[in-house]
Amino acid sequence: MHLHKYEKIWLVFGMASLVLFLLIIGFAAFWKGTHPQSHMETIDPQNVEAHDAFKPENLGIREVADGKYIVNIVASAFNYDFGKDTEGNANKTIRVPKGSTVLYQITTKDVVHGFQVAGTNVNMMVEPGHISRYEAVMKNVGEFTIVCNEYCGIGHHQMYGTVEVYE
Amino acid sequence: MGKGNSKQHQPNSNESTHNLKGTFIAVMLLGVFILVSWFGFYALFLSR
Repeated sequence: MHLHKYEKIWLVFGMASLVLFLLIIGFAAFWKGTHPQSHMETIDPQNVEAHDAFKPENLGIREVADGKYIVNIVASAFNYDFGKDTEGNANKTIRVPKGSTVLYQITTKDVVHGFQVAGTNVNMMVEPGHISRYEAVMKNVGEFTIVCNEYCGIGHHQMYGTVEVYE
Repeated sequence: MGKGNSKQHQPNSNESTHNLKGTFIAVMLLGVFILVSWFGFYALFLSR
């Protein structure tokens, strides 16, 4: 088969780019642990309280080690439950120091929701019957708005919260 | 037409006379655009 000289150049260029992208994706997946946020772990959506992480008293932020936090959240139409503060008011803000490692664990009681901390890489789909997890290092200081990015019904736009990363 | 002109119109010599310079530039521009945007998005992912 005869191939034009230019044709050979762009075929090699295209295949080399493909190999390069696949190598980087492989590196991210197998060495850096980048995986889909749903880990195939199931939960009964009618009874999320049965799971230790989603008991009402365990919702919200908890420091598990120096600079390591776990945030447990239950999403439902149309609210994120981050637990209650000492006065019994619903928490809407998660505060963590800069550079901390935060594991977000979230599930939903009803329909599919989204969980995105806008401006960071934390972005998950939250499906009934599944637990979604994402661990992120909060390396930039600022206030980041949590939004639901899967249309979940008439009050979709009312689902929000804030992650505040301080120095 | 027909077999009479076959000396000047052999398939091989015909193909090699195609000028692919413009195609080459267009393909490479597209390739560079894809590479640059891929690394741009990856850098954005790493920086956040």
